[in-house]
Amino acid sequence: MTTTITKTPTTPTWAPGSTRPSAVVPTLAVRRLALMIRSPRSVAIPLLGPLLFALIVAPALGNTLAAPGQHKSYMTFVALAAAGLLIPLNCLFAGLGVLADRQSGAMRELLVAPIRRGSIVLANLVAAVVVTAAQVTVLIVGAALRGAQFEAGWHLVWLVAAALALAVFVYGLAEVFATRIDNAEEYTALVPPIAIVPFFFAGTLYPLTSLPGWLAGIAKLLPLTHAVALFRYGLTGQGTQALHNIWGQSDTAQMAVLSLLVLVAYAAAALVLALRLFSKAGSS
Amino acid sequence: MTAIRPAVEADRLVKTYPGDVKAVDGISFSVAPGQAFGLLGPNGAGKSTTIGMLTTTVKPTSGRATLGGIDVARNPIATRSISSVVFQDAVVDRPLTGRQNLVSHLRLWGVEPAVGQARYEELSEAVGIAGLLKRPVSTYSGGERRRLEIVRALLSGPQVLFLDEPTVGLDTRVRHDLFDTIATIRQRTGVTIIMTTHYLDEAERLCDRLAIIDAGRIVACDSPQALLASIGDEVLDLRVSNPPEAVDALHRHGVDDHDIAVTGSTVTAPVHNVIAHRVTAYLAEQAVTVHSATTRRPTLDDVYLRLTGASIAGSDN
Repeated sequence: MTTTITKTPTTPTWAPGSTRPSAVVPTLAVRRLALMIRSPRSVAIPLLGPLLFALIVAPALGNTLAAPGQHKSYMTFVALAAAGLLIPLNCLFAGLGVLADRQSGAMRELLVAPIRRGSIVLANLVAAVVVTAAQVTVLIVGAALRGAQFEAGWHLVWLVAAALALAVFVYGLAEVFATRIDNAEEYTALVPPIAIVPFFFAGTLYPLTSLPGWLAGIAKLLPLTHAVALFRYGLTGQGTQALHNIWGQSDTAQMAVLSLLVLVAYAAAALVLALRLFSKAGSS
Repeated sequence: MTAIRPAVEADRLVKTYPGDVKAVDGISFSVAPGQAFGLLGPNGAGKSTTIGMLTTTVKPTSGRATLGGIDVARNPIATRSISSVVFQDAVVDRPLTGRQNLVSHLRLWGVEPAVGQARYEELSEAVGIAGLLKRPVSTYSGGERRRLEIVRALLSGPQVLFLDEPTVGLDTRVRHDLFDTIATIRQRTGVTIIMTTHYLDEAERLCDRLAIIDAGRIVACDSPQALLASIGDEVLDLRVSNPPEAVDALHRHGVDDHDIAVTGSTVTAPVHNVIAHRVTAYLAEQAVTVHSATTRRPTLDDVYLRLTGASIAGSDN
């Protein structure tokens, strides 16, 4: 049915603006951070477990299991691995914010905004990375104060790059799950298999060589294994052995590059999948 | 007829969901700039799906829609930049303050800070929420939250404002206050309004034109006055023991089948220049038991009943 226009039109007295794409992600990230700040528990809870692990469990294990004179070294080995628990936990919990947006309805306002829908995912990622970076810093400083022996230097860039890639990978998965899952209970049920189980097989508490051969093979496919090896390479002198256990080569820099490439590939795949699914879900 | 480009145009829009569920089945309409256009129908009629297609959150199966002459499917970001939506449910960041919610909207819609600040102050004052904006939205009442959403929707200076059941769930007083707010805002900004509602009084008071939707199709589209005039000056409500018997009697009395509506034990018919008591007298002659007979002015619900055979209020229930 086509109808005729019957009323004399008026002109809107206000003109609409135009959104600068460069301003969109920061605006959305600030919104997400503001929401996180209003809910400090969502930031504190993922940090609590890994922090206790680094500050209490790692020294205890060092004292109990390490050879005489080696307990500081083992404590450092385990404490740094706690970052491999913290990053997945925090990034997965950050995905709950997306679920909350959908359930509270706030997502609908974002979906009708004159922005690319992918920028919503990128902004959430930026917020998750900012919070994770702060948490990892707290963890490392806390472990150092407790006696862990870190070596700060240019190698730190490997830790930063690996932590960033791991965060992007896990957050990408979190967005995928948050897009596909409707309730928080079902979502949180995914936390143990994604964030906790791999922690025990990724060379965190013991070298990969301590695992049965078939399990070590699987562990080498886990992004966390590569991330933890790069954490160690970035912040301690123990990284060479961890990388060697994965790649079996002698050129440490080359092995570090390979591990970083693996992580970047995982991160890119998860992010692309998240962007696609989110954009698709935004226009049903 | 005017040559001015419509603010909103829908051309044979269709939305079919999996399972061959046709939510919208070939809807077409055109709205001039500055007009208030209502989509009236019960829940499930296809109103919100139509709004969803116009606001780019629902992908049409076929058909075309434009906002300000811009194709919604081809250039969704441009169409979103000239429109805003007030949703059926509360769509706000409740932990944040009212001000944070508004500022976020201003930035996302790319409003210049000075312009945004001026609109922010003007609108929040006009709508009576200026004193609330430092509080978290979680502390607002339903009416205050709705006002905040209306202010937010207008901050970007939209050419088209979509109001999807804007007063649903609010108590009567708040509903009327909000209704006045919408009318004031419309007068002040000249914005084109597309509104869905199943509150007939709202539709009648606010809308210049109405499309009555039933099962995904527009069954009538005209001004509220014209739609009401199609019923006549008066309708007769008869509460009877045996509605089919009363309907037969009314047929014999010359009332068109199309005009008669039955809701439970009530038979409703327009009395088009016929004196109502003559109808009841005729029914009495025909031995139809009439418990009560009342005449009243027709409402849009009568229009809807006549067009679809179901009442909007009844369909909701």
